[in-house]
Amino acid sequence: MPDTHPAFESVRTVGGIEELRHRNGLTVLLVPDAAAPVVAFQVTYRVGSRNEVSGLTGATHLLEHLMFKGSERFNRDLGTSVFQTLQSVGGQINATTWYDRTNYYALLPAEHLGLAVEIEADRMRGARVRDEDLASERTVVLNELDRGENEPLRTLLHAVYATAFHAHPYGHPVIGWRSDVETVTAEGLRGFYDAAYWPRNATATVAGAYDRTEALALIDQHFGPIASGPETGDGAVPIEASVTREPEQRGERRVVLKQAGELGAVLVAQKAPAGLDPDADALDVLVQALAAGKSGRLYRRLTDAGLTTSAFAFYPRLRDPGLFVLYAALAPDVTHATVEAELIAVLDEVARDGLTDAELARGRQQVVADEAFGRDGPYAVVAQLNEAIALGDWTLYAEYRDRIDAVTPEAVRAAAARLVSADRRTVGHYIPEASGEQPAGSGG
Amino acid sequence: MESPSSASSPLFTPSIPLATRTVEVDAGPARLLVLPTATRDVISFRASFLTAPDLGTSDDVALGLVGDVLDKGTTSRDRHAFADALDGRGATLSFYSDSLRIGVAGRALRADLPDVLALAAEALREPLLDADEIRKAADRTVAAIRRSRESTGQQAGGTMARRLVPPDHPNYIYTPEDEEARTAAITPDDVRDAWRRHVGSDGFLLAVVGDADPGAIAATVADRFGGWAAHGLEARFAPDAAPTAPGRVDVPIADRTSLDVRLAHAVALRRDSPDFLAAYAAVYALGGNFSSRLMQTIRDEQGLTYGIGAALGGVAVEHDGGFGVSVTLSQESLERGIVAVREEVERFVAEGVPAEALAGVQTTLAGLHVVAMATTGGLAARLLVNAERGFDVGYLDRYPDLVRAITPAEATAALRRHVRPADLHVTVAGTLPSLA
Repeated sequence: MPDTHPAFESVRTVGGIEELRHRNGLTVLLVPDAAAPVVAFQVTYRVGSRNEVSGLTGATHLLEHLMFKGSERFNRDLGTSVFQTLQSVGGQINATTWYDRTNYYALLPAEHLGLAVEIEADRMRGARVRDEDLASERTVVLNELDRGENEPLRTLLHAVYATAFHAHPYGHPVIGWRSDVETVTAEGLRGFYDAAYWPRNATATVAGAYDRTEALALIDQHFGPIASGPETGDGAVPIEASVTREPEQRGERRVVLKQAGELGAVLVAQKAPAGLDPDADALDVLVQALAAGKSGRLYRRLTDAGLTTSAFAFYPRLRDPGLFVLYAALAPDVTHATVEAELIAVLDEVARDGLTDAELARGRQQVVADEAFGRDGPYAVVAQLNEAIALGDWTLYAEYRDRIDAVTPEAVRAAAARLVSADRRTVGHYIPEASGEQPAGSGG
Repeated sequence: MESPSSASSPLFTPSIPLATRTVEVDAGPARLLVLPTATRDVISFRASFLTAPDLGTSDDVALGLVGDVLDKGTTSRDRHAFADALDGRGATLSFYSDSLRIGVAGRALRADLPDVLALAAEALREPLLDADEIRKAADRTVAAIRRSRESTGQQAGGTMARRLVPPDHPNYIYTPEDEEARTAAITPDDVRDAWRRHVGSDGFLLAVVGDADPGAIAATVADRFGGWAAHGLEARFAPDAAPTAPGRVDVPIADRTSLDVRLAHAVALRRDSPDFLAAYAAVYALGGNFSSRLMQTIRDEQGLTYGIGAALGGVAVEHDGGFGVSVTLSQESLERGIVAVREEVERFVAEGVPAEALAGVQTTLAGLHVVAMATTGGLAARLLVNAERGFDVGYLDRYPDLVRAITPAEATAALRRHVRPADLHVTVAGTLPSLA
C-alpha cells in the first residue's frame, strides 16, 4: 500500500483501483494508467431522477445544466466559465444525469488535472443556481427534450417505463415531463443542490497518467475545505430516504405510441431485479447471448430472418428493481404481433432450456474482451466506474470479469425463468402513421 | 481576466513523437503502420483501400451493399461460422463504404489479432456474396432509407448537400426516393460485379495500435494479404463544388417539433491547401465547441437552442467541401434563431477572429490532439486518416506547432476568404410552425 496523504484514509484496493476517503467524507478512486499522457477526472453524485417527485421531474437534469452557469470564481463574465477554462486546454468535458446519479467529467492532457479538480471543488458548493440563468437554460433543455421526442425509440421507451412503473420514480423520464421542466424554479433546483452536492454524497475518480501524490494533494487542497454535508450528526437523513417502492405488477400491461413515421417497432420489457441482486450478473451474460454480434439469438432469429432491421437487448443495472428490455425495429411489411411473439419466444426458450455451452463461452469471452477494452483510455474507465458507483458498489467494475466467469448455464436459465412471467411484462408498440403531405416551402 | 491556477507541473510534453514510435513498412500489398503502446492486451486497427467508383453511376450504391455483405460468409465458412469466429474471441470487425474507399475497423485481444486479420483478408478476398444475403442487405438499406425520412437531422443535412454540390461529387447525398430506387434496382450480380471490379489492394493502408509486435503483424499481413491484386481503376467524380444562388428549402416532417436547421455554402478548399488550418481554426472559434462564439451567444446568452455548431465539412485532399452551421430550434424560435445565427456569423466575419479567441482555439486544438490519442482506436483512426491524405506520420507530431503558428491576421484572412455569410443556403426539417 503506498503512502497516503494525511487527509485521506485508505479504504481498500481492488483490481488495481485504490479507494480512499477524505476526512470530509469524499470518496476518492485512483486508477493509474500511463499508456497516454491524458487524465480523466470525474465527480459522481448519488442523485438523479430516482430522487425526484411529481412536479419536480427533470429537476436533477436541469440542475446539471445550471452547474455550467458558473460560480463567483468561474463564470463567463470573467472569461473563466467551466467550458472556456477546460476546453481551452483541449479538455473534453460534459455531464450526464441518469436515474441514480449525476456525473461531471473532463478528459484532458495530464498536466492540466489541477484545473479540473479546482473547478469541480468550486462548483460543489459554490455554484450560482440563479433564476436568471434558469430562464435561458430552460429553453435549452426544452429544446433537448423536443429533440428526444423526435426519436420514436426514445418516446417508446418513455411510454413503456411510465406504464411499467406506477409509483417508483423510474416511471418518469430522466429529462422530466415537459410541464415540470417549464415550471420548476431555481429554488426547486437548489433544494436538490443543497441536499446532494456534498462530499459525503460524492465520489471523485482520477484515471490515467497522474502523479498519485500530486493528485491527492490537489484533491485535498480544493475539496478539503468543504464540509461533509448539510447535517453531520447521526440523525442525518440521506437523500434517498423518500424513494417510493414500486408495488408488485400483477398482470401484463400494454402501451401503443402513434407518431408520424415510416416503420414500426416493438419493445418488450420484463420487471427485473436491482443491479446488485445475485441474478444481475447472469442477466448481463443473457444480454450478451441474446444481442452481442451476429451470433446473438436476436440477430439470428429476427434480423437474419428478415423480420427486423435491428434487434437488441439491454438491462440497465439500477439501484432499485428495473426492466430487462428487448427492442426490435420492424422490417417493411412485418407485423408487430409477429415480432412481439418472436421476442417473447426467444426469452421463454432460454428460461426453459438455458444457453448452449457455446453461447455461454462466447458470452463470457465477449465480457473478457469488453473488460479489456473498457480499460482502453481513461474516459472508458471512469464512465464504467460511474455506473458501478451509482449502484452503490464500485468494486462491481473491478471484479466484473471474475464475477462473469462464475456465472453458470443454470444461473442464466434460472435468472431468465424468474424474469419471464407475462404478469410482469410491459409491451410497447410504436405504430407509424402516414404523415400529412404539404408542399415544401422554397425560396430563392 | 482572472486566470485559474494549474498546480501541476507537466508530466509529459504535449508533443508525442509518433514518427519515431511508429513502424511503417510494406507488408505484402499493404502500407502498414504499427504503433506499439503501453495498453495491455488490446489492439485496434483501421484499414482502407481505394475503390475508384464512377460517381456518375450507381457504383457507390453497389459498393455500399458490398460493404454490407463482406462479413456474411466466405467461400470457406458460412455467415454463422464467420460470426462465431469473431464473437467467440470477443473481437469485432466491420466494413464500411464511403464515397471513394472501403474501410475496415476492428479490435481484438493481442493473442487473437492474427486470426482476426486472417478473417478480414478472407472477407475481402473470398467473400461468398450470396444472393439471399445481398437481397437482405438491400432490404435493410431500404428500411434505413425510409427511417431516415423521419430524421430531421438527416433530411436537413441531405437537402443541404444537394444544394451545394453536383450529383457526381463525393459529398452528394441522394434523395431518399432516388436512393431507394437505385438500391432496389441493384441485382446480386451487380454487387458481385462491383466487388470484382472495385475491391483490390489499390492504396491499401493498415494502421495497428496497442499491445502490438510490429514484426509479427507485418509477417501476418504479408502472409494473409500477399498476392491480393489491384484493380488499377481511376475514380471518376467531380472534385469541385458548384456554387449556386443561395436560397431556403423547408422539408416538412410531421410530429417533429424540434427542427433541424442548416446554414451552409460550398468552399473551394482542400485539406492540403496552404490556408486550411487557418480557416479551420477560425471556424472553430466561431462554432467548434461550447466556448465558441455561436454557443456562447445563441445557446448561453439567448437560450435559443440545445445544440449549435459550425464546421468545415467534407473537405478532403481530393475534393472541395463546405462551411456550415448546424442548429436545432423549436417552432417558436425557428425564424428568430435563423436570423440570430446569420447575424452572428456576419458579425464574426466582419470583426475578424479576436486574438484571444484564436489563442484559446490554438491551445484547444493542441490539447484535443493529445486527448484524441487516449485510446488505441483513436490513435489507429488518426494514423489511417493521416496516411489517406498522403501525409507522413511526422505531420501528426508537427500539427500542434502548425496550429500555434497561425496568426490572427492569417485566421481572419482565411475566414473572410472561405466564409461568406451572403452565400449561405438554409435548409429546415421538421414540423413547421404553420403545420403545428
